[in-house]
Amino acid sequence: MTDSAPLERRYRRMLACYPKAFRRESEEEVLAVLLATAHEGQRRVGLTEAADLIRGALRMHFCTSRAPRPVRNAVRLMCLGALLNLAVMVTILVTLGGVRSAVIGAAVQWHTVLLTQVVPVLASAPIGAGVWLWLAWANGRGHNWARFAFMALFGLLTLGLLTGLAEGDGTHALPYTRADLIATTVLWLAGLVAMLLTFSQAASRYYQQEPARQ
Amino acid sequence: MTERAMREATFLILTALADGSQHGHGIIAEVQEISGGRVRLRAGTLYTALDRLRADGLIEVDREEIVEGRLRRYYRLTPQGTRRLAAEAARLQASADAALTPLKPLGVTT
Repeated sequence: MTDSAPLERRYRRMLACYPKAFRRESEEEVLAVLLATAHEGQRRVGLTEAADLIRGALRMHFCTSRAPRPVRNAVRLMCLGALLNLAVMVTILVTLGGVRSAVIGAAVQWHTVLLTQVVPVLASAPIGAGVWLWLAWANGRGHNWARFAFMALFGLLTLGLLTGLAEGDGTHALPYTRADLIATTVLWLAGLVAMLLTFSQAASRYYQQEPARQ
Repeated sequence: MTERAMREATFLILTALADGSQHGHGIIAEVQEISGGRVRLRAGTLYTALDRLRADGLIEVDREEIVEGRLRRYYRLTPQGTRRLAAEAARLQASADAALTPLKPLGVTT
């Protein structure tokens, strides 16, 4: 028993990623299976095993294992949306040097552009990612309000995209704004499909049930 | 409306429970044996599937035991799970027959 103690501690740390309700009911049971399937003398959690546990935890948090296929796909798209929000932020950070040169070349005050355009986009990206993730989680759990909240978010996104397209007359031809516009278009498409999926017939039945217990 | 085809892991888990209740480790071992060693379920995958199957009413908890200080929970098929497994097995058999019948004259045997 003493030999398996460090491994058990590590497994418990991994199982802490699972929803509380699941842990309360099944942690000891899963732990027993993990220890029973561990190799002789194993002291660390293997990479594949860790990935499997994390994937399982994510599925349980987002309840995608219980939701019907359209909701599962919508949740996946919302998670993708969260990643895209972060991708926009990373793109801007990586290309910041080029943007700066372009701005200075165009005889525009760099700090003005930085404060009015770059910083707001950089600051809103993690918030946007958080909102997409939150709505993915709520939709996965079958909260009916969540699909209407996502519809509102999609409305805002559409408004942002239309504004971006209206301004795309060449006067805002900074490299990051172009990348931002492409990313926003992809985000908009992902949002459109996700929204349509949450209002499909199979999804509607799921939303009309009680939210999942986790 | 026809039911969607089952994922292989789900089919194998239900098959592992077809001849009686099993605990988590037992299901993993049984699935490995049924699949000829091809499918080795991991705990994360297994418990996500068990959670979903319980929510869908295809399996239920049969009993719990404490073995060497560790909790062991046994699962069994519900009548709905049995019907679903039978339907899926029949569907797979029909597909296999459809593939094998034209192969017979060519002398291909399994």
